[in-house]
Amino acid sequence: MKLNRKAAAVILFVVAGAVKLPLEERFSNKLRASGLLQMPVGMEARESLGQMGFAASLGGLRSLVASITYLQAYSAFEDTDWGKVDSLMTVTTRLQPREVSYWDEASWHQAYNAASSYQRDDKLRAALRSKLYRDHVERGVEILQEGLRFLPDNPKLLIKLGTIYAERLQQPQPRKAAEMFLRAFQNGANNFYERRAAYELFKLNEHETDLQAYEIMKRYYDQGMKMKSSTIMHNLPILEERLGIPPEQRVKAQERDDPLKAPNVQPRLPQS
Amino acid sequence: MSSTLKSSPRKYRAFSPARVWALATNTVTQLVRMKILFLLLLFVVIVVAAAFAFPTRSPEQQLKLLKDVVFGALQVFSIVMAISATALLLPRDVEDRTLYTILSKPVPRHEYLVGKLLGVLLLIGGGLLFMDVFFSGVLWLKQTMITAANIEALKSEQSDTPENIAAVRALIAHQGLTWNLHAGVWCVFLKAAVVASLALLMSCIATSTLFTILVSFCFTIAGQGQGLLRSFVFKSLPVTWKKICSFVLALLLPDLGLFDQVQAVIEGNSIPLATLAETTGFAAAYVVLYAGVAHLIFSEKEL
Amino acid sequence: MIEEKKQSKSESPKAVSVENLTKIFQGAMGRKPLTAVRELSFNVAPGEVYGLIGPNGCGKSTTMKVMLGLLKPTVGSASVFGHDSDAVASRHDVGFLPENPYFYKHLTGRETLRFFGKLCGLGGSELRDRADAMLDLTGLKNAADRRVGGYSKGMLQRIGLAQALIHEPRLLILDEPTAGVDPAGSRRIRDLILELKARGITFVVTSHLLEQMQEVCDRVGIMSQGRMVREGRLEDLISVENQTEIIIEGASAEQLAQVRAIFAGSSGAKIMSLGKPRTTLERLFLETTVQTGDEE
Ligand SMILES: Nc1ncnc2c1ncn2[C@@H]1O[C@H](COP(=O)(O)OP(=O)(O)O)[C@@H](O)[C@H]1O
Ligand SMILES: [Mg+2]
Repeated sequence: MKLNRKAAAVILFVVAGAVKLPLEERFSNKLRASGLLQMPVGMEARESLGQMGFAASLGGLRSLVASITYLQAYSAFEDTDWGKVDSLMTVTTRLQPREVSYWDEASWHQAYNAASSYQRDDKLRAALRSKLYRDHVERGVEILQEGLRFLPDNPKLLIKLGTIYAERLQQPQPRKAAEMFLRAFQNGANNFYERRAAYELFKLNEHETDLQAYEIMKRYYDQGMKMKSSTIMHNLPILEERLGIPPEQRVKAQERDDPLKAPNVQPRLPQS
Repeated sequence: MSSTLKSSPRKYRAFSPARVWALATNTVTQLVRMKILFLLLLFVVIVVAAAFAFPTRSPEQQLKLLKDVVFGALQVFSIVMAISATALLLPRDVEDRTLYTILSKPVPRHEYLVGKLLGVLLLIGGGLLFMDVFFSGVLWLKQTMITAANIEALKSEQSDTPENIAAVRALIAHQGLTWNLHAGVWCVFLKAAVVASLALLMSCIATSTLFTILVSFCFTIAGQGQGLLRSFVFKSLPVTWKKICSFVLALLLPDLGLFDQVQAVIEGNSIPLATLAETTGFAAAYVVLYAGVAHLIFSEKEL
Repeated sequence: MIEEKKQSKSESPKAVSVENLTKIFQGAMGRKPLTAVRELSFNVAPGEVYGLIGPNGCGKSTTMKVMLGLLKPTVGSASVFGHDSDAVASRHDVGFLPENPYFYKHLTGRETLRFFGKLCGLGGSELRDRADAMLDLTGLKNAADRRVGGYSKGMLQRIGLAQALIHEPRLLILDEPTAGVDPAGSRRIRDLILELKARGITFVVTSHLLEQMQEVCDRVGIMSQGRMVREGRLEDLISVENQTEIIIEGASAEQLAQVRAIFAGSSGAKIMSLGKPRTTLERLFLETTVQTGDEE
């Protein structure tokens, strides 16, 4: 009797285990597929987290651990310790790769804060300064590209990337910038970014891109007063010129001379 | 001779909800009077600190941080409560011999186990409910404050178009108080319930409180990593000792990682009702399994 | 006397029946198995007070735990009012006071009784009345709303007795009910046993204090190393058949000399002792000390 019950306990345990394993596997795969569960933390982040951090991240405190590494990165940023900012933000994004703001902020630290800080550092030789600037902007681009692998077509990341291509590179890349802005717009960003893409395309001064830019700008122009930003009023006639648009289809001369001050329609999200 | 005795003995029932309830409420009283609820006070302090003491960052970050800290605290508290409450109960009843008096009444042993487990679950459930309500209030307050501050900022920049205000509201609301958060708290409860039943099983095997606590904590941590073990087992590797050990562990342990949908909730995702139901089903199955095995062992135990 | 016992046995079912009980504790991890009880048999008739006597470690508590289903017999069986001790239902008619009883510290005396009452299926006003009656009976009324954690040893024994009685059992099993209790307290417990006995409750009591057992038990069994070595009615066990005790008050020295002279010439009988009778130590203690009255 005594042995029977203990044996029954062991058998029950093993049988239930054998039944539950495939069910657990199936359910957790399903949860991962729907984004409700994350993949385990990768090897690289595991090392930077240390034993405790890794155990905690495994123990259902992943989000909290990410918040802590994020705060650590923020204090490293206040100390302008850029290497540390980068490695801590890398861990943070590894822990929660679906958290947009982590990728956004990680790239912002590198492409803006770190890059500009090196550029202004007059203790460094000029050649070194501009190399460091370039390297950090590129690092920002890398971070965003990686983030886009986890969050494909995320408008916020696309906009950030487009802005870096347009503004932060020593040789700006309007084509890539325009591509990013367009993708952002197609994925839900404000229509300002479609016009922004047109402005970048305009800079390329090629027939193809001129056609694209013209199509966009004309469309907004035709929508009426509100959409006629000063940039559109300035660029449209030039494009008409470049593309040889027939005069009767061109933007009226007096309107061009008297560009209305369009209200700022760029979305103003609260900034930090 | 026996004239003063009532000759009709009460009818005995194999399972009596009243007895289980008596045991459960006694357990709750016991734990409450052991001041285990001071943990709740600590929680309140943590929530308030997380809400108002951190440097001001972007609104999303502020809210996310608050939720991170709160859910972290919820999980730690519920697991600590689940393990320590359970481990304090059964081995202590054996050590103090209070169990003799209880089991010498017409109380079947399984009712004793069910009563204790139910008591611990009631306590954790009540604690989490309180924490949920408190935290929801703080989050709502914080959210309202942030929204107001941001709309104020828009006004000062004279860009408070309805469109912009709506965007701000939507962004903050997404990270703020939603029904999902309660679903997340439910997941925390489910995990704690599984851990409590695991601790109950441990305390039936061992009689010392300390041993129960240590082993339960180890099993809980290993249960969190059960998913890793399992995927290692399912990989087509040559059969090694490591693989056999992993298999045995994966067989024994619950996959506590299943309940970490909490993380997705913090990020603002929502758990579909069907998924929540399935998760609850898994938790119930674990609890029944561990309580059942605990019963098999406890019913044979020499006191 | 043996005739009498047999008669009562046939009249009504035995209150307790232990048959050929052997209990071996399996040694944990390499320790030797320990035989706590060997081939023990005894019966208790309804209404009887049965005492199990023996030195510490002779297996008294183990026997009681088997009777309550807390331990399983290795060989043999125990039953209570015809129910096997293994069955939970058998515990309906039994109240148990364990050795050194210990209750939930966080409950008050009254809450403790109500808790145990609920476990026995009591409820509502019946339970409240029962709990109050038991507090009255055991003299704990004034301490009813204090936490059990602050009770003295004697009070713990009495609350233990009260919880054992809460469901009006027909049989009480008391394991060392007076151990560690001061004489006043143990006298109170003894009186309570006698009172309950008068109401027809059957008792199985253990103690290693013979004097106390002497005052309450109808029959005793003496155990040693897990075995029953003597069993029978108390007077039979302790009276010495061929001796007679004479107690004389106010005798003069001459009278005593005469008594001595009677036996001096006798060939068969002789005086074993002659002196002032001694009261028992317990009695002396009770008469000279003030009651602590720990329930007030
Ligand atoms: N649970 C147990 N495991 C192992 N040995 C035990 C256990 N309970 C009692 N014993 C041993 O059994 C013997 C009898 O104990 P017990 O019945 O308590 O004696 P008594 O009550 O007569 O003093 C003792 O030697 C004791 O050490
Ligand atoms: Mg004993």
